[in-house]
Amino acid sequence: MNTQSYVNQLMSGIATWSRINSPWAIHFNSGSCNGCDIEILATLTPRYDIERFGIKLRGSPRHADVLICTGPVTRQARERLLRIYEQMPEPKFVVAVGSCGISGGVFQGCYNIVGHIDEVLPVHAYIPGCPPRPEAIIDGIVKLLTHLKNGSRPQPLKLSHQEIA
Amino acid sequence: MNILTSLLSLMFFPAGISLILSGMLYEWADRKLVARFQNRIGPRWFQPLADTIKLLSKEEITPHGINNFLFYGLPIVALSGALTAALYTPVLGLTPIYSFQGDLIVSLYLLSLLTMCTGLAGWNSTSRFSLVGATRSLTQLFAYEAPFLLALLGPAMAAGSWMIKDVSTYASNHWMFITQPVGFIVALIGLMGKLELPPFDAPEAETEIVAGALTEYSGRGLALFHIGKSVELVVAISLVTAFYLGGIGNPLIFILKTLAILLFLATLQSMLTRLRIDQTVGMWWRFGALLALLQILVIILLKGWLI
Repeated sequence: MNTQSYVNQLMSGIATWSRINSPWAIHFNSGSCNGCDIEILATLTPRYDIERFGIKLRGSPRHADVLICTGPVTRQARERLLRIYEQMPEPKFVVAVGSCGISGGVFQGCYNIVGHIDEVLPVHAYIPGCPPRPEAIIDGIVKLLTHLKNGSRPQPLKLSHQEIA
Repeated sequence: MNILTSLLSLMFFPAGISLILSGMLYEWADRKLVARFQNRIGPRWFQPLADTIKLLSKEEITPHGINNFLFYGLPIVALSGALTAALYTPVLGLTPIYSFQGDLIVSLYLLSLLTMCTGLAGWNSTSRFSLVGATRSLTQLFAYEAPFLLALLGPAMAAGSWMIKDVSTYASNHWMFITQPVGFIVALIGLMGKLELPPFDAPEAETEIVAGALTEYSGRGLALFHIGKSVELVVAISLVTAFYLGGIGNPLIFILKTLAILLFLATLQSMLTRLRIDQTVGMWWRFGALLALLQILVIILLKGWLI
């Protein structure tokens, strides 16, 4: 192994370490009943203290690494969801929280629903529950981080600009 | 001083890398203290380092309709301003490397450079949130800058010098937070305004205006602004400690003093809620500036009377 590839490996190792230890999140509700959102907000409270893992809720998608989505995707929210996803810098990850985000839940088959989040965005972690408990959300995010540590990662979807606009 | 030692002192110690690392440690201490006040466990000790490396390794998005030169140049200017100010301040209780007559004013203006760059960056990126954040940053700059400067002028006038080195040497024999308690309090609160800590965090209020002036920044630019802010935290705290809490001395004792100030700042941060921007400005000009002026008046009168 020559020196350059060794340095490259070291640098990517450091980058992965930092990525695992500081996932900044942004939260988007694409049509959920707000049950999951309340649980996500409960996760951010001092009782569960996710700053232990370096997780921080950021307001701007430009600062975030993890997009936490709740609910099924409605026809109106689809464009906004895609736009927020496109505003995030690479590497970015999507976490679907709640039954509706995974399968459409009770909203499946509604006239105003595109479908579950997987049909619009590449989802890296699913957290089931209606709504999932804060412990379950923390567990899901930690599982996503351990996957990142092992190097496995689903390929992100490439979108054209016409699709967003 | 030959070129090699100046380069070493610029790049590694006491400015440069060691300053950035100590800035990260101070930032961690601040976050940890606030977490403990909220009955949480708080972040791990390497958290700011991980945040910075992650931001540096991320993609940097360039928004449409901006001036590229300003967009990429401003974070560098902001960081270098904060790092340059450290050369004239007794960071970690060591004698400043460089000093000249009037370096107090220069280093204070270099510290304001970060806020000015944040304001320009917000104005440059065409987003309504960053524009509102930039306006608030600059408004707040006009509010706290004069009282903070006046509060640091008190010790300088007592020492009779404009040189940070002279003032800190004078301060090691005279504990000025006893003789000038009003100036000390104004300087501490001014520090909070300068660092945009709560209750003066209206410029980056995430519940109102996403992330303030830095909304459009991602990756490297954001990381440089973050580093600049933590360097500014160290430099400004060192300045206030050197002026009011017994000057240059044993580095260990100096660090303990700065940590005491940090504890006080963290207490205020977790106790108080965010002030509206007009309340901030009103508070500074109605009370802060007047108290600092009163302090200076007393110093002038006493000095005239004693001499």
